[in-house]
Amino acid sequence: MEYLSLFVKSIFVDNMVFAYFLGMCSYLAVSKNVKTAAGLGVAVIFVLCCTLPINYLLNKFVLAPDAIIEGVDLSFLSFIIFIAVIAAFTQIVEMVVEKFAPSLYSALGIYLPLIAVNCAILGGSLFMQQKDFASCGEATVYALGSGIGWFLAIVALAALREKMAYANVPPALKGIGITFITVGLMAIAFMTFMGISL
Amino acid sequence: MNTNGNLYTIIYTSVIVVLVAALLAFVSQSLKAKQEANEKADIMSQMMTADGIGSKASFQEIGNAAVLEKYAGEISEAFLVNAKGEKTADIDLSDVWSPSLLKAQNNQIKKGELDAVEVPVFKFKNGTTVVPIYGAGLWGPVWGYIAFEADGKTMIGSYFDHESETAGLGARIKDDTAFQDEFTGEMADFTQGRIFEIVKGGAPKEGGKSVLDNKIDAITGATMTSQGLNEAINNWLAVYKAYLTNVKTEEE
Amino acid sequence: MDAKIKETILNPIFKGNPITVLVLGICSALAVTVTLKGALVMALSVIVVTGVSCLVLSLLRNTIPSRVRIIIQLVVVSMMVILVDQVLKSFEATYAIDRQLSVYIGLIITNCIVMGRIEAFALGNKPWPSFLDGLANGVGYGLILIIVAFFRELFGSGTLFGIQVMPAGYVPNNLIILPPAALILLGCIVWVQRGIQKDLQEK
Repeated sequence: MEYLSLFVKSIFVDNMVFAYFLGMCSYLAVSKNVKTAAGLGVAVIFVLCCTLPINYLLNKFVLAPDAIIEGVDLSFLSFIIFIAVIAAFTQIVEMVVEKFAPSLYSALGIYLPLIAVNCAILGGSLFMQQKDFASCGEATVYALGSGIGWFLAIVALAALREKMAYANVPPALKGIGITFITVGLMAIAFMTFMGISL
Repeated sequence: MNTNGNLYTIIYTSVIVVLVAALLAFVSQSLKAKQEANEKADIMSQMMTADGIGSKASFQEIGNAAVLEKYAGEISEAFLVNAKGEKTADIDLSDVWSPSLLKAQNNQIKKGELDAVEVPVFKFKNGTTVVPIYGAGLWGPVWGYIAFEADGKTMIGSYFDHESETAGLGARIKDDTAFQDEFTGEMADFTQGRIFEIVKGGAPKEGGKSVLDNKIDAITGATMTSQGLNEAINNWLAVYKAYLTNVKTEEE
Repeated sequence: MDAKIKETILNPIFKGNPITVLVLGICSALAVTVTLKGALVMALSVIVVTGVSCLVLSLLRNTIPSRVRIIIQLVVVSMMVILVDQVLKSFEATYAIDRQLSVYIGLIITNCIVMGRIEAFALGNKPWPSFLDGLANGVGYGLILIIVAFFRELFGSGTLFGIQVMPAGYVPNNLIILPPAALILLGCIVWVQRGIQKDLQEK
């Protein structure tokens, strides 16, 4: 039950995009059509689910105070370790996918370098550290939920932008201006989930 | 020079990483004392704010050293109590309880393992008692301090803090002194299940002022944070119940 | 040469503003703009991080192995971010602000402005112009942050830098404080900017 509530909460209530504005750069840049948006969304889910548990274990058994040697607190290194894990992971995945699944690579490959600098991924790890999950399972569920939340958000925006291409928007607002406002309105809609107690 | 060879790449990366790690370790070590002093002074000033000794802003103005000095002059006793109200150990008077310590106890309170819980009590020279509370707000943890008169029941004031509540809404538990002042004069009710209640817009009022019972108004627009704080206060005061009610009988 | 340096400095502030034109670094821009003080500290942190990271990486640019380029960049940037975070935590005056900004300081690492400027400018230019370019982009970013924070604090709390400026009877507008309002404000800023500068408009 706890897992389910965490899962639902991380998709809707703590939505990476609408509640924390994480991963905005690629969110705005790659949401012009639904197909590419979905590709990036899947890549984000995948990388989040793999890096967050790794970072959780590192945080618990290496970085936490007294974890390796009594009296040594390495937590000041957490940013650098987290980002190194993420960057190394995306690079390894890129190489593996390129070698063994070229078709997947052509579909997903171009997004992988983008993901190393996607704040949603690093944000996931930083929030994991802040929320202090009790088990690796919880951290994985949180990663899956946040990833799906991000996926939903980008696909929804892409669908709206596809339709908006036919709308009569004031010239100065066209493109990025109206997109900002749309995302703002979507975020207000998502805020209704905040009242749900799980 | 070939900058793409395997050996070069590995050596280069290692050297950079080691250099950076060494630099950071040095900086973190040399700044650690200052950071800890900041945290300590912050917690001390929060407790003294709850106790009405001064306002948080005034403590911020006088700086860390003066806060420590002031605290040392005001504190009279600090010790741990268990859920039965018995004193189990002393706390060094110059020590405070950081949120991470509160958190560990809170985990046990949540699990219902009240026998193992040991919570701190800070007594001040003016006869007042300050106790901490800790719980979950909307986004992250909320915690704070509540000060009681010598009778262990009447509240003098409060100070709350949080990690990531919505700025301007939930964050008002920390920033809004009017909310914290609402606690002043209210009474914790240890005779029934709910010791204290933060009610959404429905606390009993007389002449525009909150009746001095165990109910106060929640923060408008911050329902979830108020609820979380409400739970935190009730869970923690339930642990202090035995101790605080004992104080009263001793006095009588 | 002077004209070129001037261009390097002025371009990111208005015509090539990283937020409103290049659409980079929105991630942390929105969450910290509830109060002017928070926005100012965030802006200064980003200016320092982009400036110094660009300088360091520009100095190293001919020695970096291309295969581990991204990792080296991230290591240098995160080093700067950790330094800024540690320093903010150490000063009495900034300790409270650092607590308020919490994870968003850490997220400067993945702020696309930093990585974007390193990739696009610092790795191909001499240290001095790279340093200026980094600083100027930080300033362009900070400027937007401060404009958004000005409106959000003024209407959302009735204060500026924590000092009451609205008349006593003013009821703060809670909607402005909520995160989505920042996006809508940003949309309006883009609207105004592109209204003035017609060549930026998208077809």
